[in-house]
Amino acid sequence: MNRVATWAILGLTLTFLIGPFLIIVIAGLSAGDSLAFPPQGISLKWYIKVFTVESFQASFAMSMFLAIFGTLAALLLGIPAAYGMARYRVPGAEFVRLIVSSPIIVPGIIVGLALLRYLVIPTGVSIALALFLAHTALILPYAVRVVSGSLDNLRVDMEEAALLLGCSRMGAFWRVVLPNIRGGVLAAFILGFVTSFNQVPVSLFLSGPGVRTLPIDMIAYMEINYDPSVAALSALLAVMSVGIVFAAEKFLGFSRYV
Amino acid sequence: MFENRTIGLALTVPAALFAAALFILPVGILLSEAFKGDNGFSLMAYVDFFSSPRNQTVFFRTLKLAGLVAVVSAVVGYAAAFCIVSLPAKSRGRMFGLVTLPLMISPVARTYAWLVILGRTGFVNSMLVNMGITDTPFRILFTETAVFIGLLQLFMPLMIISLVSAMENMPRDAIPAARILGANWFQVFTKVILPLTREGLVVGGTLVFTGSMTAYITPAILGGSKVLMLETLLYQRVTVANDFVAASVIAMILIVMAFSANVLLKQIATARRTRV
Repeated sequence: MNRVATWAILGLTLTFLIGPFLIIVIAGLSAGDSLAFPPQGISLKWYIKVFTVESFQASFAMSMFLAIFGTLAALLLGIPAAYGMARYRVPGAEFVRLIVSSPIIVPGIIVGLALLRYLVIPTGVSIALALFLAHTALILPYAVRVVSGSLDNLRVDMEEAALLLGCSRMGAFWRVVLPNIRGGVLAAFILGFVTSFNQVPVSLFLSGPGVRTLPIDMIAYMEINYDPSVAALSALLAVMSVGIVFAAEKFLGFSRYV
Repeated sequence: MFENRTIGLALTVPAALFAAALFILPVGILLSEAFKGDNGFSLMAYVDFFSSPRNQTVFFRTLKLAGLVAVVSAVVGYAAAFCIVSLPAKSRGRMFGLVTLPLMISPVARTYAWLVILGRTGFVNSMLVNMGITDTPFRILFTETAVFIGLLQLFMPLMIISLVSAMENMPRDAIPAARILGANWFQVFTKVILPLTREGLVVGGTLVFTGSMTAYITPAILGGSKVLMLETLLYQRVTVANDFVAASVIAMILIVMAFSANVLLKQIATARRTRV
């Protein structure tokens, strides 16, 4: 096929896939009060305004908290599980794998609803805690999968050597295994963070007064307001995710792990 | 050295218990609600659900949109993947990165962009008005077309990624060989490319289809209450009517679809491994 046709097809595809982001970046620059494209005048006021909206501040903090601590909790559960399945003879290992990866198969909205109805309502635990548990469960499959991938590439002999030379099992894990799968763990953290931060369906039913994740808050805001602030915020979030992934790729070779 | 079952169990049981308690148990209870009748087991909830014309419309619309998105992204995906694979290595990597980039961005941001483009004062309408094609802006938002466009943009990268990896595994000289032997481009596609990339197509198609089936944000923002899909119907039944039985039925439909797609994927993946 000739070059012109190749670039025409790729250009059109990329315009469709990436063009919309350029449009929200520009729509957020509007000086007008309602969402329009092309924007009425240029100003940074909406980009500045999003930082002052109180509900956005609160929900951003909530989303950050969930993404960071939910991912850490998932790694805390997932690394031992991946290690156990990679090294030891675990009875019913396939069953364990299936259970641990089940959150990928079940649509998030159903999980959120189930947790609301059978955890939050009967036991009275806070919605924030339920959100934290739900996000942890959601990230767990990714954590196990990425860390398992790293462990598969790690040769067992080094660990065996450490053990034979008198290292304790814990010591061998901390000094030999963990340093060698560091890249995979970091990649799992980034993947978990981005997945949790962008997650909507799980959090849909798990929101209450003052407890909302940022994406849910944005949806609620745009149902009432038709101003460009959500465009500005979306653009900022897009830049943030792209920045994280770009940095991860540059310093870590992120795509090797995922 | 790693024979000790107790250590193995101690390492894996916490994660399994956590997922079972927070995931499988609550979701299982939710699913069981639709099977409760006056005296034990009953399928009445399913009969009721499917006898409502509105629910039927939503069910078939969801299947139709998801199928359409899968087919169109396959057509575009083949063209795009073919172009990407034919690039020199360096620009191929870059192009691949650009295609996967949208997957890392918040779906809310991605869907919101279409609100800006398709809205009454959006990009498309102001262009049409300025060019004098129409005086009154078109209603594009809150139609199936809008939901279709949003879903297509959301999930097409998954198809392109699957097809690119399938094409990279294709023998290099298969296409030139077919051309030399006199095949035209249509024959090259149906007789060479399609059979050799079938697995990639199935993987991509399944991801796109289940992704579109279980999408919430796109139909919620671009379709509203006029163009309900299964997930938005579920949300509406719960928040508006407190109808948990309908929610349970929809949940079952979604899980069965997602699960069968997953099983299909696994089978194809293992079939591939044994052959190689």
